[in-house]
Amino acid sequence: MKAAAPNAFRTRVLQRGAFWVFRFATYFIIACASYVFLDIGIKGSRTVFTTTPPFINVAFLSERPQTLYVFDFEGKKETLGDQDFRKWKAAHPDAVVEPATVAYSAGGIWPCIVGTALLVVGSMTLALAIGISSAIYLSEYSRSGPWIRLIRIAILNLAGVPSIVFGLFGFGLFVIFFGWNVSLLAGWFTLGLMILPAIITASEESLRAVPQGLREGSLALGATKWQTIRKNVLPYALPGILTSSILGIARVAGETAPIMFTAAYAMRDEMPWQVNRVTDFVFQGVMALPYHIYVVSSKIPQNEYTERVQYGAAMIFLVLVMLIALTSIVLRERSRSRLSW
Amino acid sequence: MVAIVVLALITIFLFREGFGFFGQNLTNIRLYRQSGLEFVDLMRKHADAHSALSRGLSTLRLKQVRAGEKANVPLDAINASLAPFDEFAAAFSDSAEPLNGVVSDSGELASALRAQLAAQIVARDQKADPVQPGASSAEGELENQPLTQSETLAKLRESTAVFEAAAAAINTQVSGLLASAPQIPEASAEKAFTPWKGHARDHLRELVAGGAELRAWSPDVPVPWYRAVGSFLFGRDWVTASFWQDWYGIIPLFVGSVMVSIVALVIAVPFGVASAIYVSEVASATEKRLIKPYIEFIAAIPSVVLGFFGIAVVGQALRAASESSWLSWISFFPLSERLNVFTAGCLLALMAVPTIFTLSEDALRNVPRGFKEASYALGANRLQTIARVLVPASLSGIVSAILLGLGRVIGETMVVLLCAGNRIEIPDFSAGLGAFFQPVHTMTGIIAQEMGEVDAGSIHYRALFMVGLVLFVLTLGINYLAQRFVARYRMSIG
Repeated sequence: MKAAAPNAFRTRVLQRGAFWVFRFATYFIIACASYVFLDIGIKGSRTVFTTTPPFINVAFLSERPQTLYVFDFEGKKETLGDQDFRKWKAAHPDAVVEPATVAYSAGGIWPCIVGTALLVVGSMTLALAIGISSAIYLSEYSRSGPWIRLIRIAILNLAGVPSIVFGLFGFGLFVIFFGWNVSLLAGWFTLGLMILPAIITASEESLRAVPQGLREGSLALGATKWQTIRKNVLPYALPGILTSSILGIARVAGETAPIMFTAAYAMRDEMPWQVNRVTDFVFQGVMALPYHIYVVSSKIPQNEYTERVQYGAAMIFLVLVMLIALTSIVLRERSRSRLSW
Repeated sequence: MVAIVVLALITIFLFREGFGFFGQNLTNIRLYRQSGLEFVDLMRKHADAHSALSRGLSTLRLKQVRAGEKANVPLDAINASLAPFDEFAAAFSDSAEPLNGVVSDSGELASALRAQLAAQIVARDQKADPVQPGASSAEGELENQPLTQSETLAKLRESTAVFEAAAAAINTQVSGLLASAPQIPEASAEKAFTPWKGHARDHLRELVAGGAELRAWSPDVPVPWYRAVGSFLFGRDWVTASFWQDWYGIIPLFVGSVMVSIVALVIAVPFGVASAIYVSEVASATEKRLIKPYIEFIAAIPSVVLGFFGIAVVGQALRAASESSWLSWISFFPLSERLNVFTAGCLLALMAVPTIFTLSEDALRNVPRGFKEASYALGANRLQTIARVLVPASLSGIVSAILLGLGRVIGETMVVLLCAGNRIEIPDFSAGLGAFFQPVHTMTGIIAQEMGEVDAGSIHYRALFMVGLVLFVLTLGINYLAQRFVARYRMSIG
């Protein structure tokens, strides 16, 4: 036993060392992620919050993106947005200034927020409608066979297709082939199809979680299969379906690649509801928050003037998506503890 | 029901658009041959080789100046000692004058012909469609087209003789120069100069043989169909919208994607798996409850935000680090580009970690309790149990987690578009690990960048669809592999 003692000591040291390595790896990941959150959060909050009441930069959230004019006047450095610059010019008709312009860096991001909201609402409606009905078919009506297996494999594989391929597909089919141009409708369909596999899987799981007894009871009372599903299965499965689709919302809102050439414009002056005819509504492109972030971070240089809008937009976007994701996680935890048959 | 329709639609559509590419690419390559561009490129190859040799001379000169500076020789003295060398270099680069002349003259001829031929093809297409107005006038033009083609080609052929004359002149001139090459005082430069002379002699030999090559070339040799496929799958150039000749070779993009993924996985796999082991086996219950949702939460960070973060923070930090003195021993530091493979790889690693972590953790947790208990009963401690029992038992699950992480990384667009540097070039692997610090372009990035600017139905548009198709097939393959691993894992536990 004595000879084994140093050996045992070595294994213990080894174990402790290995555990420290694991611990370090875990906390390193957490540190990296926290750094991302903090950096964007701190620099973004300089834009989003103000020191004077109402403490939130309302203009940034409610205005359109504008070109920023930077110029020296009477020894002072002036930075004005497009509208303010015109007003200033009118007030100083004789002033000769040579402003440097920085695109997108003044004003706010209101149209982007609206555009993203429209895209999310439309594509989620579409995806839920198609997704729930295919889930009902798969879990209630279909009998397992080679055909259903094929469908399941297809769903599984569809989930792994890169989002840019969806974008390419949407561009080719909806934008070019159907001739919808860059429009909300094309964006809805592209995003909806992208999120479909996740919705189908989640809905099927919720439908399966409804106990068989509920269906049998209803059928025994003479209800038809459809009546059973509508009155006795769907109402119990719906909360679960909606909860898990919130995570889908986070994904739809966060994706840039599929909407780059199906729905998003870099700059658009009108708001989405300023259209001539009602039918034009779905055939118009919109500004979207993720695409706007892409544009402001790649198409304009990095400097003190652009940082404001870059970090501001990134923070608003990050907070929105994180809130959605957080809601979904919290709801999932709660529904897990509550719903148990 | 819908899913299979969508998947089928995507496949059919990608194939339909994609395969149109091959036909167009074939026409493209045929044009390249018929218009004599290929002929000119044969000559240009030699001219390029010559100027590369000239550049070699100037780097040699730089080396000597550096060496002189290190030895504290005044600049005038260095220049004076290099005077014979400079003379030699100047004579060498001047000797290529006639060659460059031929190349640029015949280049103009050939590209004019190419434009003509392309117009001719458009005209032929219009003729096939009788409703198209203006077809008759196009037909009129068509009559005298072949004449000009043969004329131009004849002119091009004449330039063979000019080329041969130029080659002979260069040969005698440079041979003379080489025979009387100046002595180089500096030893290390002398060492580099000897192989340079060898290269120059090889170049001369090829130059003289080039005439025969030009004679053997014919515009009428048909281009086989597989060249269209081969030039896409194995082409080393992706050149679009150039005045000369467009090439659509996927290799530079593919290499870019693969390199970025390698960096991402090399970082993400150890961290992901280690943290999965930590959370499932080592961590206390409180830690577990907090860490797990947090890492899963990382997956929800939108990729465009990460890309922005990469530009604004990681790229800058990387460059600042590369310029600091305590890292100067690394040969390729300081970096010239802040956006490169490594920047993108780091951020993609952060995206891949949640996937790898979640799935590996699941796999580890699904190992039956009995395995662990049996191991403890045999006197193994926790580390031994993890290393010898738990990890091997869940290995296929972990491998499939890594594969799914790879699928996510290779299909990711925004981060690589923003952070990989977007230079369409195969990195210079002679730089060793430094190749991972060069900017690249990726398959996903090129689609995102160029799709918005192309005409529907053009060859460029179809080439991008082909890239999409390759990406699609690649991710399907990765998914399939991952599923295979999961299936095997289930069996081994049961």
